[in-house]
Amino acid sequence: MSKKTWKTSEDVLRLFQAVGRASLLHDIQDSHSGNMAIRHRDEAGNEWIVITATGSQKGDLDSSQVCFLSPTETDFGYYKASSETDIHARILSLEGVAASIHAHTKDLTILTLDDAAKPNQPPPFMPVDLLGYYYLGVVPVDWVEVPSGSAEMARIIPDRLARHPAAVIQTHGTFTRGRTLKEAFFLACIANNSGAIVRLLRRVGVDVDKLRRKVESEPDSSFAYEPPAYTINDDETCEFPEEKEILLEFRKTGARIFESRLSPFHTGSISVRGVRSLLYAPKGSMPREIGGPLLAVPLEAGDADSAELRLHKQIYAASDFQTIIHCFVPEAEAHSHWELPGHEGPASRVVPIDAEGSFLYLVIPVVPARTRLDELVRLLHDYKVVVVRGGGAWAAGHQSLSEALHHLSSLREICLYRFGAFELGLDLRRMEPEKAKRW
Amino acid sequence: MSAFPSGYHGMTLEVDLSSGRIERVPLDASDVYDYLGGRGLAARIFYDRIDPACDPLSPDNVIVIATSPLLGTNAPTAGRGHMVFKSPLTGMIGSSNCGGTWAPAFKATGYDALVIRGRAAAPVVLEITPERAEILPAGDLWGLDVHQTVNALTTGQGAGLRGRVLCIGPAGENKVRFASVMNDKNRAYGRSGPGAVWGSKNLKAVRVSGREKTEVKDKEKYRSGAEQAVYLLKQAPATKRLLKELGTVGLVELIDLIDMLPHRNFQDNLHLDEDVEKISGETLAKRLLERAAGCYVCPIACQRHTRVGDKKGEGPEYETTVMMGPDCAIYDLEAIALANYACNELGLDTISFGGTLACAMELYEKGILKAKDTDGLDLHFGNSRILEEMVRRTAGRQGFGDLMAEGSFRLASAFSHPELSMTVKKQEIPAYEPRASFTQALGYMTSPTGACHLKGGYAVSLAFFGGAKEIPRFSLLQSPTSIRNMHNLGILQDSLGVCRFTGFAFSVDPWARMASGVTGLDFSTAVLEEVANRVAAVERLFNIEAGMTAADDTLPERFSREPIVVAGEERVIPPEVIDRLRSDYYRARGWDEEGKPAPRVLESLRIRRRRP
Repeated sequence: MSKKTWKTSEDVLRLFQAVGRASLLHDIQDSHSGNMAIRHRDEAGNEWIVITATGSQKGDLDSSQVCFLSPTETDFGYYKASSETDIHARILSLEGVAASIHAHTKDLTILTLDDAAKPNQPPPFMPVDLLGYYYLGVVPVDWVEVPSGSAEMARIIPDRLARHPAAVIQTHGTFTRGRTLKEAFFLACIANNSGAIVRLLRRVGVDVDKLRRKVESEPDSSFAYEPPAYTINDDETCEFPEEKEILLEFRKTGARIFESRLSPFHTGSISVRGVRSLLYAPKGSMPREIGGPLLAVPLEAGDADSAELRLHKQIYAASDFQTIIHCFVPEAEAHSHWELPGHEGPASRVVPIDAEGSFLYLVIPVVPARTRLDELVRLLHDYKVVVVRGGGAWAAGHQSLSEALHHLSSLREICLYRFGAFELGLDLRRMEPEKAKRW
Repeated sequence: MSAFPSGYHGMTLEVDLSSGRIERVPLDASDVYDYLGGRGLAARIFYDRIDPACDPLSPDNVIVIATSPLLGTNAPTAGRGHMVFKSPLTGMIGSSNCGGTWAPAFKATGYDALVIRGRAAAPVVLEITPERAEILPAGDLWGLDVHQTVNALTTGQGAGLRGRVLCIGPAGENKVRFASVMNDKNRAYGRSGPGAVWGSKNLKAVRVSGREKTEVKDKEKYRSGAEQAVYLLKQAPATKRLLKELGTVGLVELIDLIDMLPHRNFQDNLHLDEDVEKISGETLAKRLLERAAGCYVCPIACQRHTRVGDKKGEGPEYETTVMMGPDCAIYDLEAIALANYACNELGLDTISFGGTLACAMELYEKGILKAKDTDGLDLHFGNSRILEEMVRRTAGRQGFGDLMAEGSFRLASAFSHPELSMTVKKQEIPAYEPRASFTQALGYMTSPTGACHLKGGYAVSLAFFGGAKEIPRFSLLQSPTSIRNMHNLGILQDSLGVCRFTGFAFSVDPWARMASGVTGLDFSTAVLEEVANRVAAVERLFNIEAGMTAADDTLPERFSREPIVVAGEERVIPPEVIDRLRSDYYRARGWDEEGKPAPRVLESLRIRRRRP
């Protein structure tokens, strides 16, 4: 007579641990919040729903906290699984969906709060940034009577996710779905990032509704380009294993971008130029335990190149730069729309007011979404980092990835100092170095 | 001259020592925009005037010394001049840079560049002031050492118009192939043998004095760059601490730490810690240092004024210490310092001297050189007692010194073992081990002047002190473009008349603002990048016309065959890696497989031949 044992799988556990830890690092969960689930076929061909245990710490999952549930019968794992298992099970039954994540995504969820009498139907969330606009589109927001693990949620959320990549339950958080767990995590991070940008815009008094109307009516001029579709099953690709030191640099840089929140998960891009080829990470923001594809591509433009890769190649063709990093720094995107007191229209530059920033960068230029390439290259030459309104921030190095990374990291800090000073009611113009104004 | 950009005088002084003719020749305004100044401007002027096939020690060789638009301002470290000539050591372009005070004083005479050709019938001194330029007899100076010559030419001058002297010592007079031209007694235009070229022209010295100012067109822009540069120099540990507190010799222990300190003519990189400590910056500070000082407007102040017993002098610098020290298995700091003083006084390049002596020592230990060949001197590795004596015999071409004076390649070849000469293009490799970094190796290979830590891109500054710019040491993919960019940074620093050490703190950006501010021209970083590519192409064109081929861009076989341990791993630079690095470097430059700049590159850089 065989004894039932707790089912586990090393691969699945590693994936859950990696995504769980990454979700904490990116601050879309608290220590215990949220849950994640996948459909899984084991080596024997059996189908499972795999889901995190209720009350588990997503940053420190062990095999006992990852539950394998039979989709057709109740087993003992069911009693330990997330209280929102039924919701996930129904999401996973959607066509083409094999993974789902629920995350608290505070930066977005806060934006859905209201003090209206209940019941009421909140308005949907409309991102104003490139990533949110193209990857999420309209994000439905629902009020429910019991906003946690309820049958009402199990009815509403799968219905929403059948038509949208992400949906928010007011006061609780976001649900996303994907073909893989990483795709669902990608969308959750994008959703939180879009929320963070809108929150920053509101903090500095930008008319977000007006910006939304502009984005909706003129997406082509509001955004630099349409990003490529999220790819799956390519994260293990490494086309330059012999370049051990550069490989390490890519992994280090990708992890730093992710951990420092310079760009949401698997967004942005990293490249190092060789003489014959270009080493390229199209999912620049890469947690250490997840990584992303590392490609060696020709330097010459190709028909299949994404808009992002094309820009890397064009910048190299017009310069002697050695490295390029592109990130969607939320603080920089928000700053690019900031209409500073005494100025008409959004700021055309970020002026550091902190000690290190003001000596390293007297100003950092901000350009419109469809800025010509030669202008972008000229500015990269002179300033090394450029913010493209609706297109992320580009940084270049003459020697190392670390050099380009430093520019982007400094950019984020410079923006944060400026937002902070504004919140303190300080006069930014008086704080900006005189020399920066004259340039 | 009012139409000429600010920061320049718009005038060259051209001197033909054969005919005695001296001419004031206006500079071509487009040249200053295309070549900036210093190394770039000198290379262009040189390329326009020289027959690349000429004998370097013949009257046909041309010497060009150029200054930059920043000279005469207070831009940090902007006091350096640049000399270009055909090298008697390599047969390629000689391109040497020097701090001190001579270059700013020369610019104050009202000229941006000095061109010297021909050969005087007897030793002469060239005297330049804003009012006149004269060729004066110098028979009484011939035979004097550098210090004596400077003293003779500066004693008794009025305080208001104190002359600055550039001169050669006996080594230059004797046409030692690695003789230097000295400035402020102890600062050297050291590499590639400019002193021998001066000697071949019977030119003992150039004395200059003047009061012409350098105007700054856009003071605000200039100041913003200068402020940023000073701030960053005060931030970077290498400039604010290491070089300031210990001088360049402070690098000894650090370079050993990264396994790049050569030993026994580059046979290995193995040293005892206690030996390295004997020649460290700390030891120099404890035992020899009298005071620190700096070159003209330099906040780094890496000069070490030292004393050994009653003998005073300057240095030794890092390269000197290592090439006369561990590379010869010598760890006797006093002996090295005394030999260094002698090199300065006699006008010898300490790097090539050390490299040549190390080669001689290996030949001696291997029994190829016998005691009868060395006039009885014991040339075993580690024999510090012969150091100073060997300097004197080399400078004087006395006995075995006559062979030493030819450099290590000709010395080793004379005994049928050229493979024991650690040279690239016949110039001795400086004190950074190439097997410890592809970028360093490629820098030596492709330096236009032969092996040179500075013309080769100073890659070590990225290997250890690069901060955010630190690069992989063994990347086939990245090394070619990295060293191309480092070469370019070096070209710009030399063309701006500023110190290579500023590269420890920052790259081109502050210089772009200072150069634009001084001149009122658009010297943006993109424009400067193009200037650097242009200068590199002109230097290359000259070398090719002088007979260089791709086969010259290589390393001695030792580095491919004899491994050393770097960070726990055995390393060589295999021939296929050498080939790949070289080929990719050419590609990165837009040169063909033979290393020739492609016509489209010359066209895009607006490089045209002007010689008949």
